[in-house]
Amino acid sequence: MSAAEKMSRRDEMETLLPFYLNGSLEGSDLEAVEEWLASDPAALAALGEAEAEFSGTTAANEAIRPPADALSRFAKALDAEAGPRKPAGSSWLAQAWGRFMAVPVGVAWAAAAVLLALVMVQSFVEPGGKGNDFEIAGAQDDLAKMPFALVKFKPDAKMSDISGFLGSNGLKIIGGPTADGVFRLGMPAANAADYAKQIGLIAAQPFTETVIEGRKPADGG
Amino acid sequence: MTAATETDRALVDRVAKGDRAAVRLLFMRHHARVYRFVARQTGSEMMADDIANEVFLELWRQAPSFEGRSEVSTWLLGIARFKALSLLRKKKEDWIDDEAAAAVPDGADTPEVVTMKEDKAAALRRFVNALPDEHRVVIDLAYYHGQSVSEIGEVLDIPVATVKTRMFYARKKLGEALKAAGYDRGWP
Repeated sequence: MSAAEKMSRRDEMETLLPFYLNGSLEGSDLEAVEEWLASDPAALAALGEAEAEFSGTTAANEAIRPPADALSRFAKALDAEAGPRKPAGSSWLAQAWGRFMAVPVGVAWAAAAVLLALVMVQSFVEPGGKGNDFEIAGAQDDLAKMPFALVKFKPDAKMSDISGFLGSNGLKIIGGPTADGVFRLGMPAANAADYAKQIGLIAAQPFTETVIEGRKPADGG
Repeated sequence: MTAATETDRALVDRVAKGDRAAVRLLFMRHHARVYRFVARQTGSEMMADDIANEVFLELWRQAPSFEGRSEVSTWLLGIARFKALSLLRKKKEDWIDDEAAAAVPDGADTPEVVTMKEDKAAALRRFVNALPDEHRVVIDLAYYHGQSVSEIGEVLDIPVATVKTRMFYARKKLGEALKAAGYDRGWP
């Protein structure tokens, strides 16, 4: 092989090295590079140089930091582009809630939690509004003063069981769910004894996973 | 199939059916790379912000016509490239100029002084940044975006042979710049 041919082959191999490194090389090109790496003492040094370029290029790109709020701005732009999602309003919420009540929700707890959150939002729009089976949160000022507990329901809990329990005990969902599925449950406790009793009641329910005491009534306890 | 394992193509199918959550997932997967790609093309993060957003809105609009002949990432980069070029042309910026962007340090320092101030890795980063756009973009697409020769051809709308030629000259310029800075790597 002449010097010119050697140089030509080296040039070709150097051209292919970036694609060898990024794993996209295949077929005869891949075989040629592997054969070169195995047979030419200069090839491994060349591979090291290409790896340095790889690192340098990656670092140069990753030095550019996209804005942190890009997704939220895009979501707004998408909504503007795509138009309103679904008909909104209490009748839609009532229908959605009704559907959840009618169906076992063992596999859809996350979605159910989202729906509860939507009910919450709706309640702020219409203070004092009522859901199907339990009283939902009222005016924000009242909520701020209300005794509460933090509750996490079991993933296989049934919505109908929860709503029935909340309704019959005067309990209200006044916040949540958090990303971990924790709700803030408003409690109609007049004193510490009531509060302790209600905490015990919530903890005793088969659908309760965890209950943590939050704000207690003004008489302490 | 969970969102975590759902392929890009499956998500595009969902987008084609009007699923906004799917387009947001694709945004989360690809936005940073698209943003960086455009920022490198235009030299402007403000433009990159606008164009990257537009790319994903275009994904929303064009998803029903996506035929899946290329990877979604390649498709997005192609859209980004087209939009970046269009915007730059509109702004009448002369952004492709082989002669203008020499692969040597700029600024007040001489090459020797600059070399003393930085190590080889830093020099390499700077030389990559200083490559002419048509060369830097193939370096970026191969090393950072992991694109194959044919995918780069698709993104840039150029023949495969041209991709290889540009890669050859890009690496040759990097080698020459390194050599000038005292880092002889034996090629070219």
